[in-house]
Amino acid sequence: MRQALVIGVVAGSGYGLIALGLVLVYKSSGIFNFAQGEFGTVAVFALWGAHSAGVPYGVAMLLGLGAALASGLVTERFVVRPLFAAPRVTLLVATAGVSLFAIGAELWLGHSQLRFVAPALGRLDRMSVFGFHVSDQRLLVIATLVALAVAGAAFFARTNLGLAVLGLSQNPLATELMGISAERLSRFTWGTAAVLGGLGGILSAPLAGGFGPGFVTLSSLIPAFTAAVLGGMNSLPGALVGGIVVGVAESVTVSSPLFSEHVPGAPSVVVFALLVAVLTFRPQGLLGPRSGLAAPAERAR
Amino acid sequence: MNGHSTVGWIARGTAVGGIAALVLVFPLTRSGIEVNIFTEAVIYAIIGLSLNVLLGYAGQISLGHQAFVGIGAFTSAYMTSVHEQNFVAALGVTMVVGAVQALLLGVVSLRITGLYFALVTLAYGRMAENSLFNITSFTGGSTGQAAPKPAAFASDYRYYYLCLAVLAIVLFIDWRLTSTKTGRALLAIRQDPRVAASFGASLKRYTLIAFVTSGVFASVAGALLAHNTTSVVSSQFDFRLALVFVIMTVVGGLRSRAGVVVGSVFFALTDYLFDRLHLSVAINAIPVLPDLSPDLAPLVVGPLLLIFTLTRHPGGFGEMLRPFGRWLRREPSPHTEIDLRDGERVHA
Repeated sequence: MRQALVIGVVAGSGYGLIALGLVLVYKSSGIFNFAQGEFGTVAVFALWGAHSAGVPYGVAMLLGLGAALASGLVTERFVVRPLFAAPRVTLLVATAGVSLFAIGAELWLGHSQLRFVAPALGRLDRMSVFGFHVSDQRLLVIATLVALAVAGAAFFARTNLGLAVLGLSQNPLATELMGISAERLSRFTWGTAAVLGGLGGILSAPLAGGFGPGFVTLSSLIPAFTAAVLGGMNSLPGALVGGIVVGVAESVTVSSPLFSEHVPGAPSVVVFALLVAVLTFRPQGLLGPRSGLAAPAERAR
Repeated sequence: MNGHSTVGWIARGTAVGGIAALVLVFPLTRSGIEVNIFTEAVIYAIIGLSLNVLLGYAGQISLGHQAFVGIGAFTSAYMTSVHEQNFVAALGVTMVVGAVQALLLGVVSLRITGLYFALVTLAYGRMAENSLFNITSFTGGSTGQAAPKPAAFASDYRYYYLCLAVLAIVLFIDWRLTSTKTGRALLAIRQDPRVAASFGASLKRYTLIAFVTSGVFASVAGALLAHNTTSVVSSQFDFRLALVFVIMTVVGGLRSRAGVVVGSVFFALTDYLFDRLHLSVAINAIPVLPDLSPDLAPLVVGPLLLIFTLTRHPGGFGEMLRPFGRWLRREPSPHTEIDLRDGERVHA
């Protein structure tokens, strides 16, 4: 049970990292980005490719993040920008298409075999929680998530750029009239979100038992969305908390014999139940205000 | 003037005859294995129409349609092989299961709409995939569940015509759905729920009608799919399939019956066409790229077509087919008509 808690917090941190990117894109443009997971998978493939070609791990990680950034910018330029004024559901379908394309391309170029990637930090027993060793890689995931969530919240609360991004989401026309380029901001948010997805992928891939095409989408996209929804879809710290809640809920269920023996695929059942429950009973999220929905101003319909 | 001449009649007759020959006679000249592929294309058309009811008429997107189709397939297989029911009885049970399932999801959709509903359906599909499809007694585990063809339609050719007949019924129901009060109410609700409600169109009632219709179509398609291949395996219904379903419907053109049918058939046949036209050979001849197996073609080509459709051609195949349809029906071309559909895209 205690071990399940620790495992859950670590797995949940991975979801939280993906969820940060989802929240960032949603906060700035009201888009549900179904390609977020694939930004991560692309990064993992680049890291694996570079590292197995003999590139040092640190450089390979940077290459992975670069690949994620590139795929984010390409998506922004060729999919998001042409559809800027389209209904948000159109963009949802379009990003789902991007995700499917990435999976198809990965299957084509990389085949469906399972690959393994080494962790960035190798030591396994630096810390022990409840008698359970926590590896350095796991600590790295948690620390990165907390640092990024705090930095992201500060970015929106304290910087002009953050304010501009928020302004763009609330009233694009007024923001443009203030002399802020919507195009540049859109590039900025998608680039940043893609790097966050890449980071989520390359930090959590070594902890999973191997990866293949569509790895991050299959393993984390739905839990990450659930995490973002739990956090109210608008809050970066909320995504962090949501991620950990989802991770712990999953691992606690799996560890209880009642579920693991009688319900196949218990984690996805739990995630589905959690998602429907939150959307039905507390749509503003766990940390959201008492009243008011998490739904943004649905614009440009 | 426009098409009243004898030449016009002959041209129209040739066009209709050509399509009829392609659909009805051409499969007879091919092998049984190829006919199985054509049958699958017909079933995809039913799936596309099912999704079109949700996406096009009710304005709710489903990213978990593989679960609807899959549950239909497994229910029919389970009833025929484990409970040894005949095909018709099994189909009845399958339709009830599909309707109930869709009704439940419809109730959820009344509270959760738009983007959030898409997310719920995605999670639902994943849950079905990981959980329901792994209940061994129901799905036969990794070996799958046998689904024998009905005795009267045991030959691949006969089964093809059976599926065509079902498609015709589905098209008829879809046509009735859009041309009656229900269709007008759904149209009004999609455009503005509040105005529609103020005119007395019950959002709840019509949304649920759309969901149940879509669910029954999908489960019937699933049953037909199961018996076409005579066995069902859970790995057939992964979430990529759900995305392909959405893409084929959108590329086909929402709210256009002909467009959706053509789009779905096109996507069902992509790998077949890739193989027949030796496109994979052409791609494999490019030295840097690894070999593209035909079954990956829909995953690579589909999204590109989707993005092209959304950004450049929101009406999809349906819009391209519209002038042809007008010509067939001898309607004047709409030069002076104001097209209300102009600029219309996928609605939430």
